Amino acid sequence: MAKRFVTTKVEIEGREETKVVELPSRNPTPWGDDADLHVVGQRVPRMDAIEKVTGDARYTADIQLAGMLHVALLRAPIARGRVTTLDLSPALALPGVRAALTVDDTPDIALDGVRLFDRTIYYANQPVAAVCADSLEIAERALHAIVISIEADPHVVTAERALAAGAPRVRSSGNTPRTSPRVMSRGDVDAGLRDADVMITREYRTPTALHTALEPHGAVAEWSGGHLTVWESTQGIFNTRRDIAKAFALPLSSVRVIKNYMGGGFGAKNGASHATYIAAAFARKLGRPIRCILDREGEQTDAGNRSATTQRVTIGAKRDGTLTAITLDATISLGIGGWLAGPGRIYHELYRCANVRSSETFVYMNTAAMASFRAPGSVEGAFGLECAMDALARELDLDPLELRRRNYAQHDQDKGRAYSDKHLDECYRLGAERFGWSRTRDAKRGGSSRMRRGVGMASLTWGAGGGPPAYATVRINRDGTIEVLTGAQDLGTGARTVLAQIAAEVLGAKITDVRTVLGDTERLPFASNSWGSITTASVGPAVRVAAEEARDSLFEAAAGMLGTEPEDLESRDGEIHAKSNDACMLIRDVCEKLGDVMIIGQGSRGPNPDKTAISAFGAQFAEVEVDTETGRVRVLRIVSAHDSGRIINPTLAESQLEGGIIQGLGYALFEERVLDERLGVPVNPTMHDYKIPTIADIPAIDAFFVGASDTVANHTGAKGLAEPPIIGTAPAIANAVANALGVDVTEIPLTPWRVLALLPRDS
Amino acid sequence: MRLIVNGASHDVTPPAHETLLATLRERLELTGTKLVCGRGECGACTVLVDGVSVYSCLTLTAACDDCRITTIEGVGRDGALHPVQAAFIEYDALQCGFCTPGQILAAIALLRDNVHPTEDDVRRGMSGNLCRCGTYPKIVRAVLAAAEQTLPNG
Repeated sequence: MAKRFVTTKVEIEGREETKVVELPSRNPTPWGDDADLHVVGQRVPRMDAIEKVTGDARYTADIQLAGMLHVALLRAPIARGRVTTLDLSPALALPGVRAALTVDDTPDIALDGVRLFDRTIYYANQPVAAVCADSLEIAERALHAIVISIEADPHVVTAERALAAGAPRVRSSGNTPRTSPRVMSRGDVDAGLRDADVMITREYRTPTALHTALEPHGAVAEWSGGHLTVWESTQGIFNTRRDIAKAFALPLSSVRVIKNYMGGGFGAKNGASHATYIAAAFARKLGRPIRCILDREGEQTDAGNRSATTQRVTIGAKRDGTLTAITLDATISLGIGGWLAGPGRIYHELYRCANVRSSETFVYMNTAAMASFRAPGSVEGAFGLECAMDALARELDLDPLELRRRNYAQHDQDKGRAYSDKHLDECYRLGAERFGWSRTRDAKRGGSSRMRRGVGMASLTWGAGGGPPAYATVRINRDGTIEVLTGAQDLGTGARTVLAQIAAEVLGAKITDVRTVLGDTERLPFASNSWGSITTASVGPAVRVAAEEARDSLFEAAAGMLGTEPEDLESRDGEIHAKSNDACMLIRDVCEKLGDVMIIGQGSRGPNPDKTAISAFGAQFAEVEVDTETGRVRVLRIVSAHDSGRIINPTLAESQLEGGIIQGLGYALFEERVLDERLGVPVNPTMHDYKIPTIADIPAIDAFFVGASDTVANHTGAKGLAEPPIIGTAPAIANAVANALGVDVTEIPLTPWRVLALLPRDS
Repeated sequence: MRLIVNGASHDVTPPAHETLLATLRERLELTGTKLVCGRGECGACTVLVDGVSVYSCLTLTAACDDCRITTIEGVGRDGALHPVQAAFIEYDALQCGFCTPGQILAAIALLRDNVHPTEDDVRRGMSGNLCRCGTYPKIVRAVLAAAEQTLPNG
C-alpha cells in the first residue's frame, strides 16, 4: 500500500521548509495550456468589491461589541535603558480607566526576543505599559498620568557601530545572531575572479522601509466560558491562534481567530502581535471585550520594517560578458530581532555563474525588529545585483539586456535542480518589445539640458511554488449555491475570487453561485499564512480536489435523474448535460430534488515535485526624467513582464503587479525610516514624513504576463505573483537614473539630495 | 447640536474637541469612514460636508451644526450603486479596500466640481488620498469612466 503521509519541500519567503503532507484523495490531471477552461482565466470582478465600495466591509477596528473597552500603549521614549520607576496609580485613579498592564501581570510573552512590557528598554517605542478605559480618548489621556523614570544606557542604532569594537551589547548574546555571518558558496570565486577579463566592485546601500499598511496591527478580544475569540488583522489566522494558545496556555480548540477583511499586510502581520496579546490579557482580566489597535506612530515605529542593507559586490566577467564570479559581502540591519532574510539568495539564482559566494552579516541594534516585507531579502538583493550588472555592462560597453541574456540560468545551480518551468527569456523579449528597449536605448540619452531622460531594466526571480498543507471543503446547498470553505486569508489580493473561480470551473457552476468563506479558525479547515505569494498555488489545488469530489457526487445524483451514467455528464454555466441523450438539468434543480442532502467535497494540497525549483520570473523596464537642478526624479513609464504560470484572473493579477511596482517605486525614490542617531529614535513616524507614492507619482504602467501553465508545479498550473513585481522595480529605476546622468547609482531612495550629490559639483 | 448624516437627523452633544471622524465612527457607529493617520495626511477619513470633501479627522463636529454630512454608507447600496462605486468595481480600483470609502467620496467631490476632468485633473484631485496597495492606475481609470457616466448635474 502506498504511504499516505510523506514529506515534501515548500519554499516560503525564500526559506525552504520540509513539510509533512497527507496525500490527497485524488491527483487530477494538470490543467495544461490546452485545457478547455471557462471560468479560470476570466476577468471575474473581485467578489468582495461590493462590501468594500459601500463601507459594509468590517475591519478589525470596526468591530463593536457590547461593553467593549479600549487600550492605549505607553511606549519608551529612548532607545536603550532601564525603567526605574513605573507608577500607574495616578492613571488608574482617573474616571473611566478600568485597568493597566505591566510586565508584572502579563504572561511571559516574548516578541522578537523582547519580553512584552520588559523594564529593560531595547529600542525606542518599545511598549512599557498599557491602559484600558471606557474610550480610547480616556485611555490615551491616562498615559500622561503615569509616572515613569528611565535610566538611559548607551544605545547603538547603526550596523557599523553595532559591529565596531567596544560597541554596547544590544542583546545579552551579542550583536549578531549565532548563525551570522551566513555564507553560501558554490564553485571557486577566487579562481573565477582570476579568470575574469573585467571586474567591477561596488558598494550598495538600501534603506529601512516601513510597510505602512493603512490598517494598523490590531485585535479585538473576547473571553466566554474559557474560550477566547480574537478578531485580528492578520495574514495568518492559524499562526495567530497557535501564538495565543501558547501564550495563555490554552488548548487550540479554545481559541478562535477571525479575519474577514484586512487593510493590508505586506508581510508584517504573520502571527499574534503586541495588540493581540494585550487585548486578550485585558479581556481576561476584566471579563469584557477589548479593542486594541495600534496608533499610526506605533504602526510606523514598532510593527516591522524591511532591513537596511549594505552590499559590497564584485562581479568578474569575460570580455564577451560571460560571468566568471560573483561575490557579495552584505550587512543586514535586523533591529532588535527578526529572521534572517538576506539579500544573498538572488545572487545565486538569477544568472548562470559557476562561482558565487555570499556572506551575510546580520546585525542586532537598538531599533524595532524587522519583519517580512513583500519579497524580503530579494528586494534588497536585486537592487545590489541588478545595479552591479548594469555597472558591468557599462564597463563592457554591452547592452545591459544583452548581458543578462548571455548569462541565462537554465537550472537552479545551487541545488542542482531543474526549474519546473521558466520563461524569463520571453519576459525579456516581450518586455523589451513593448518598452521599445532597443529604440529608446539607442536614442541619445542624458544630454546636457536640465531635464535628462534615461532607461533601465532589471530581472527578477522569486520562489513561488507554494505547497502543502492546505485544505478546502466545497459544499453544495439545496438551491445549487456553492460554498468554498478554507482557512486562508484574502489580504486584498483577490484570493476569495480566485478560489471561487477554481471551484466554479470544476463544478461547471455559474461564478455568481459560488462564495468563498475564509478567515475563521473555528469553522474552516487549515490553510497556511497568506505570505510568500503562496495562497493560489497552495490552496487552489486543494479547492480543485474538493470541487472534483463534490462534482462526482453531484453527477452521481444527476445521472439517475437524467437516465444515464455519471461518466456521460458534463456541466457548464450552471447546467448539467448528458452527452449521450442530450438531456439537461440545472445544478439548482438537481440539488432541489435532493432536498437537504448536502453534497460535500474535501480536498487537500499534494506534495511538490521532487528535486524541482518552482519559481516566478520577470523583467522590468523603466524610463525616467531627472531634473538636474532640483534633483527630482520622475518615473515616466514602467513595462513589467512576468512569468507566474497560469493566471486564474488576469484583472486581479494585474492589480497585484501594479501594486508591487508602485511599492517598488516608493522604495526607489521616497521611502526611508530616518533615525536620530544621537537619541536613537525614529523622526519620521507619520505618513507625511514617511513618503509613500501618491496617485500623482504614478507612471504609465504596462504590466503583463507571459509564459504558460506550469503543469509540473501543481495541477492548476498557477505560481505566485504578488511579490515578484516589487523585486526589480527599484533597480530598473536606479539603472534608468544612472543611464540619464551617466553615473553610478549605489544608494536608494533617490531623494533630491542624493540625486544632486550624484552630479558633478560644478555642473 | 444637529447633524444630518446621510439624510437622517441626529442630535448629538459631543465635547468641543471631538472630531467629526470620532462622532461618525464611535457615536453613530458609521464605521465605513476609516481612521488611518488621524492628522490629515492620508485621506482615508474623507467625507462630504455640504457637498465639499473634508478630512473628517481634522474637522470638529462642533463646527458642523446643521450640516449635511455624506459618508460612504450614504452613497449607494448594492443594487443602487453610485456610478463611482460601480466604476471602482468594474475597473478593480480597490484591493484591501481600506482607503476605498475615502477614495470614492473624494472622487464624487471631484466630479461634482469638475464634470469633465482630464487625467491630470484626476491625479491632482485625488492626490490627497493615499493607497498602499497601489490601485492608483485603476483609480484613475475608474474616475474617468465614472465621469462619462455621471450626468453634468448628477
